Amino acid sequence: MANAGGGAYSFSLTTFSPSGKLVQIEHALAAVSQGTTSLGIKASNGIVIATEKKSSSILIDDSMVDKVAVVCPNIGIVYSGMGPDFRVLIARARKSAQAYWKIYGEYPPTRVLTQELATIMQKATQSGGVRPYGVSLLVAGWDITRGPSLYQVDPSGSFWAWKASAIGKNMVNAKTFLEKRYNDDISLEDAIHTALLTLKEGFEGQMTEKTIEIGVVTVPTIEELEQGKIGGETGRPTPTFRKLTEEEVRDYLAL
Amino acid sequence: MSIMEYNGGSVIAMVGKECVAIASDLRLGNQALGISSNFQKIFPVTDRIYLGLPGLATDVTTLQELFRFRVNMYTIKEEREIQPETFAHLVSSTLYERRFGPYFIEPVIAGLSQTPSGGFKPFIAATDLIGCLNFAKDFVVAGTASSKLFGVAEGLWEPDLEPEDLFETISQTLMNAVDRDAYSGWGCVVHVITKDKIITRTLKGRMD
Amino acid sequence: MPAMLSTQPHGLPHPHMQTEQGPQQRQFNPYTENGGTILAIAGKDFSVIAGDTRQSEGYSIQTRYAPKVFRLTDRAVLAVNGFAADGNMFVKKVRQRLEWYRHAHAKDMPLRAIARLIQTMLYARRFFPYYVYNILGGIEEDGSGAVYSFDPVGSYEREACRAAGAAQSLVQPFLDNQIYFKNQTPAPGTSHPTHLPLPTVLKLVIDSFTGATERHIEVGDGLEIYVVLAKGASTQALEGIRGIQETTVTNDGERVFIIQRELKKD
Repeated sequence: MANAGGGAYSFSLTTFSPSGKLVQIEHALAAVSQGTTSLGIKASNGIVIATEKKSSSILIDDSMVDKVAVVCPNIGIVYSGMGPDFRVLIARARKSAQAYWKIYGEYPPTRVLTQELATIMQKATQSGGVRPYGVSLLVAGWDITRGPSLYQVDPSGSFWAWKASAIGKNMVNAKTFLEKRYNDDISLEDAIHTALLTLKEGFEGQMTEKTIEIGVVTVPTIEELEQGKIGGETGRPTPTFRKLTEEEVRDYLAL
Repeated sequence: MSIMEYNGGSVIAMVGKECVAIASDLRLGNQALGISSNFQKIFPVTDRIYLGLPGLATDVTTLQELFRFRVNMYTIKEEREIQPETFAHLVSSTLYERRFGPYFIEPVIAGLSQTPSGGFKPFIAATDLIGCLNFAKDFVVAGTASSKLFGVAEGLWEPDLEPEDLFETISQTLMNAVDRDAYSGWGCVVHVITKDKIITRTLKGRMD
Repeated sequence: MPAMLSTQPHGLPHPHMQTEQGPQQRQFNPYTENGGTILAIAGKDFSVIAGDTRQSEGYSIQTRYAPKVFRLTDRAVLAVNGFAADGNMFVKKVRQRLEWYRHAHAKDMPLRAIARLIQTMLYARRFFPYYVYNILGGIEEDGSGAVYSFDPVGSYEREACRAAGAAQSLVQPFLDNQIYFKNQTPAPGTSHPTHLPLPTVLKLVIDSFTGATERHIEVGDGLEIYVVLAKGASTQALEGIRGIQETTVTNDGERVFIIQRELKKD
């Protein structure tokens, strides 16, 4: 029998160890904590999610690497862990958002989409012939019922809402840092700077617009909402989630 | 023989000032033969949304149950009450699912939707039997008396009617329209939805 | 629709092809429906007869001005709706009969007599009917306003109001409510009026046609409203009306006026 790492129970995904653990999930979490650090902070008027993207070679064209992904106009996701697994999850999330739009004529609330993703990730812990997803996600979005919300989803399929969280290699340090820095009425601008400072803590090498990715959720004003531009009956809703351009990231880093 | 006229029946909805009204006749027929004079075609969806389902009677019951199921699932999953606009899209997509074997129903939706600032906005909509949405600002009609309803409503309706005036307008429109339609009539029911209450009245009509 | 011929148009017939032809059927449909709507309302001492002026065939508008309402005498106006060619020919024949009547009797035919004449003329074509719905409006010999409505084969009755044509189903229930006060209960101790005043009637006619124009594709372009006033009736209600014209021929009798209005052209 195999005994590399998890012993006999590490083969079958659907078998609990006597101590009540599913060791494959623990391994998936280990994969996550080897991934680059990502974090999210909920501000009083929005949310920021950020991550570092490091290339293993200078020859890689890093403009093609996307670690912060737009799911639908009101939701974006960042991850730590395995890139290919994230790509699959993003494809599923986007499909789910469009399927929801086809039924209800509007994009899903953050919680509904998060739940959908969590269900997909949970299925990978209970189905035969598959392995758990090797990623943790930070889902940031805005919707009319709950406003801005930030969720974390783990390989097990569990999810929580956070005011601020970090995942990946430096998550423990980053979380401690965030705990010190966070307060309930932090503005989005301050939150973006805090995010950069937090990333800087464990950053190896130079932090530039090429090695940082940032996504922000902005909260629309009552006036904008009354005009019906968000999720209006016709036309495209104005996005509440967007990725910052390299120019914008550079400007934030310069400050 | 048209399936849409097999059982008869008509529904109308109108917009008022901070209120909406929806009304229907009460006839259930088997072509020319009258079967029931108390066949409800309008159903509450939430406290502020009503749904009218004129058309084939068997599909009235089926769709009522289907929408009850789908709205309950929505409410539980999303932990919020469905809004009229969203419900209208749900109705549309539900009907379009059966694009090539449709339910023979032309739904009418009336409700008050919550505005971002906490107020209420009147909302009405109607679809054809495969779910093509019609968001009207004044009134929508459906059923066997639809052309008559259009004519009378076009003459009687005016903007910004108060709840009691809206009640009178929709009642007169419906009663006089169904009196000229052999497949509709046998009494009416009217609901006026306002932000703090719903007025439901049953009207006596001609029994011929 | 002509059927395709089963022989080949050019060249020699195929050696194995049968040359006999099967039975063929061709049809000519002598009728068309030209849309539009007409309407008449009788008052105590007046009658209002109106019609739109759009003439269409299918989805095409043939003309935006084709009158459907015609002055027959100073006390009778006829509105004709359905197949326009039949309608025009029918009006022509009715007028011819009225002229013969004038020559024979040295007076205009009374309204109830015109109504009976129209029945006779329509029923004469019982098995190849004029494809038209007629509404006759005017003043009776007793001075009262009257409306007679006919089906294509001559069934008729005298009524207080009637709509016919493409938008009949839109207009008639509205008239039931506003003219006959159907489904309305008078306040205790009061009763509904049996005849409405002329200004009210004119308002209802205009509202009916704007409503029908809004919702029916075959109704629109122009509106012609004929008003027939009884002998000695007041013209006060007609004063100051935009675009009104008198078309009375004789003196000291009933008077005929025409009001022309625009309707939406889309």
